Amino acid sequence: MRIVLDAERCQGHGRCYSLAPDLFDSDDLGHCVLLVDEVPEGAEVDARSGVDNCPEQALSIVD
Amino acid sequence: MDAGTTGAPDLSPHTVTQLASSDDPRELQRTLREQPVHRVGDLFSLVTRRDDVEEALRDRTGTFSWSAVGMNLGNIRPLIPLQIDPPQHVKYRRILDPLFAPKKMALLEDEVIALVKELVDAFAVSGSCDFHEEFAVPLPCRVFLRLMGLPLDDLDLFLSLKDDIIRPPGVTLDEQAPYRERAGKTVYEYFERHLAERKEHPTDDMLAQIIAGEVDGERLTDEEVMDICYLFIIAGLDTVTDSLDCIFAYLAQNPDHRRQLVADESIIPSAVEELLRWESPVPAVPRVATEDIEIGGCPIKAGEQVMLVLGSANTDDDAHAGADEVDLRRNPNPHLAFGGGVHRCLGSHLARVELRVAIREFHRRIPEYELAPGTVLEYTTGLRSLHHLPLAFPAGP
Repeated sequence: MRIVLDAERCQGHGRCYSLAPDLFDSDDLGHCVLLVDEVPEGAEVDARSGVDNCPEQALSIVD
Repeated sequence: MDAGTTGAPDLSPHTVTQLASSDDPRELQRTLREQPVHRVGDLFSLVTRRDDVEEALRDRTGTFSWSAVGMNLGNIRPLIPLQIDPPQHVKYRRILDPLFAPKKMALLEDEVIALVKELVDAFAVSGSCDFHEEFAVPLPCRVFLRLMGLPLDDLDLFLSLKDDIIRPPGVTLDEQAPYRERAGKTVYEYFERHLAERKEHPTDDMLAQIIAGEVDGERLTDEEVMDICYLFIIAGLDTVTDSLDCIFAYLAQNPDHRRQLVADESIIPSAVEELLRWESPVPAVPRVATEDIEIGGCPIKAGEQVMLVLGSANTDDDAHAGADEVDLRRNPNPHLAFGGGVHRCLGSHLARVELRVAIREFHRRIPEYELAPGTVLEYTTGLRSLHHLPLAFPAGP
């Protein structure tokens, strides 16, 4: 499972990294930075939570 | 709601005000969603469904403008960054977003805790309070003054300026205009004076950081700094008051949910998101179409204003199953209470810190409360807050 970020869409709502700080972080603007490419085993639920809470649909999951 | 010539049903302005002022706007939101677009006379159109609101907020094609929205807020220049369209808008957000990023806002938590405790201390022993007057109004204004390094003695001045701009006396726009203009003039004079002082005596607060902000080696002009500060007064003070009023009125009337978050503080962050979604304290945001478009099959002509109804988008159960009920643990909850797209609320992370701390600290001290007997809640129009929120609770130590 991989997380894909469309940085053009991210507007800094910050939902992803507040919900799943092990997978997502923020840059100086508060925009999303991916911490992992492959989602580690056991972190799938957190990954989906970060992705599904994005109001901009800037994140997606590729199985 | 008669079908007009364009196929979109017609709605009275009075119905629109109820999106904010109704005791329970969810029923009206549901009715509105039966049509994707409603015309409100010649004034504007309402966009009601989640998918359409989301697409318009995101505006990938540059179809909508904020700068073209005709709205008298007493300002003589566009408010920055709200009333600026891309691409110029980006320059300002590059300076401002880092100042309001979550990691920066988290540093304020201790100060917010102290302010919240001070406010709660003042009424906890008495067994009653007007939550609106004694908590929801002063908290965000005090936080703002601290953040900007402005004198705390200016609290009352700021509150009256904000009210004269957002809710001036009078009914018609013509009656209200002089209040807005007078308040606007005072805001400009106030910040002009403080900017001059800062140049003589530099500080390290947020105002100083804005003054020092650079994009591509260029600093903001004094006018630009003032236009940012003006927006902060309008956008930063009232909206947190509105959110606090809405959330605490909900919790006063829904003891099961209140006890749920008292029993488990770890759900406060998700409860904040859920109650913002449910209440949508900013019920709708305006845009102007820059070209002829169609929304939900309804034509909108270039130059026409639309109101994107965040409230009805947030409770649209066609888009998100179960959106018509409150679940404090809701996940996912990609709500639009802070808007979306490039104009996503700049202060959203500050608001979150204030709301989380307020809920946690208030309930640690006063876990059980209810509306004072005989209370009839009166919600305001425009932005959704309360005129008063009288609460009764066991007089505490």
